[in-house]
Amino acid sequence: MTKLEKLRIVAGYEFLKHIRRKRLYVILGLTLLAELLVLILVPVLGDGYPDNVKVMAAVLSMGPSLATIGAIFFAGDAIAGEFENKTGYILFTNPVGRMTLVVGKYLACYAAVILLVILGYVIVSISLLVIYGSIPIETLSSFGLCLLYAGSVLSVTFFFSSISKGAMGATVITLVFIMVISGIVDSVLTMTGQPHWFMLSTNGDTIATVYGGYELFMGGFGGGGERMPFEFETPDIGLSVLSMVIYLVVGFVSSIWISKRRQLA
Amino acid sequence: MSEPIVIENLTKYYNKFLALDNLSLRVVANENVGLLGPNGAGKSTTLKILCGLLRASSGTAYIDGASVAEKPEQALSRIGAIVETPEFYPFLTPEETLGYLGRLRGMRGDELKRRIKEVIQLVRLEDWGTVKIEKFSRGMKQRLGLAQALLHDPPVLILDEPALGLDPRGVVEFREIIEGAGKEKTIFFASHQLVEVTQICNQVAIIDHGRLLAYDSIAALEKKYQSLERAYLELTEAPLD
Repeated sequence: MTKLEKLRIVAGYEFLKHIRRKRLYVILGLTLLAELLVLILVPVLGDGYPDNVKVMAAVLSMGPSLATIGAIFFAGDAIAGEFENKTGYILFTNPVGRMTLVVGKYLACYAAVILLVILGYVIVSISLLVIYGSIPIETLSSFGLCLLYAGSVLSVTFFFSSISKGAMGATVITLVFIMVISGIVDSVLTMTGQPHWFMLSTNGDTIATVYGGYELFMGGFGGGGERMPFEFETPDIGLSVLSMVIYLVVGFVSSIWISKRRQLA
Repeated sequence: MSEPIVIENLTKYYNKFLALDNLSLRVVANENVGLLGPNGAGKSTTLKILCGLLRASSGTAYIDGASVAEKPEQALSRIGAIVETPEFYPFLTPEETLGYLGRLRGMRGDELKRRIKEVIQLVRLEDWGTVKIEKFSRGMKQRLGLAQALLHDPPVLILDEPALGLDPRGVVEFREIIEGAGKEKTIFFASHQLVEVTQICNQVAIIDHGRLLAYDSIAALEKKYQSLERAYLELTEAPLD
């Protein structure tokens, strides 16, 4: 039996686990809620929908971006859970390498997140078609960046899952790392005029800024690009892609390396 | 005569704590060997090293000639194991779980379906085959644990307190299943229950503080110490130098 066949089996059953779990549907619900809130609140609180379809597309991309956070909840227990819940006592006594298991779990988590992201962009596309009658071509780039961002978030989560004793700990650490620490460091670097293309939170912003940058976004809502106390530099797409690929590869490879060495006492 | 389980000079440290101290042991094919010892003697550590869950600090464990550390997939393909109280993914059913584990071991199609049905019947879970495991009691998980250990009909069974958590009827049924399996398999079986060991095994290895104190047939130990219980008590009470 080849490693590839085993990988397919592991990924298939791991995906089945995600389908059976409530968290997939909770995140799907939150994604839909985010889209619904944008579609309702923008015209209610503003002066109707923005004239520029790209502005609305950028705001609606919040939904799929939220779906990528689902990666944290899918992957937090992927490795740590086998040790914490002791399911590893069954799984690891089978003739399948730890690398195959980790890669299979990763693929299954990624597939679940991709499903959510696709649903998110289907809603974005339908909404834009109904309101504006068109979809900006940048939506494709936004979709690609969203998938890449999901992959990098997933890899970071796998890394924390591989070093954590418990699934909850891995999930919380990843959330704090991505939402709090990365955000704080990103803000400090922005305010002090330092490069911040390597921060995951900056990379995530490209999902929306690919439509035209912060200026378009502020202007589109009547802000007119009003001067801020410091300059918001629109993240460079190329550098952000490079950064996300680094997070994806380093997080993924290190999680495999650590998992292979981890013992189940 | 072949020796499916060979343990050579196994030493295991948990930080500074010495759990296994140069342990060596050979189990001959189709023998049923009970591994006895007090809590913390190193029984579970030995079984976990054999199952590839732990790495030895030094020494080697072989299953059917394959080093567990160097060729884990080859070694693990020869065993069925229950280590501690088995836990399963709660979102899957026993049929799905056994399907997953069977496929990982190369089983397919009708053969796999037939075998899943057989082992589910064997452990008396036929009414629960399509129920999610989240609803299972500890004893039912233990039964499912035995089903997954027997699923691929392995030549070697490694069992760590397999009857833990079972009701008295379950203990008897378990013993009968393992006794039946033991007629054509090699069983390495850790337990605290001397009665259980005498009913299933013909040899026992007694360990304490990670060292092998005795490894002989039950009959020989009973002859030397009057009973297996006395042998166990005398050997495990003796101060170690």
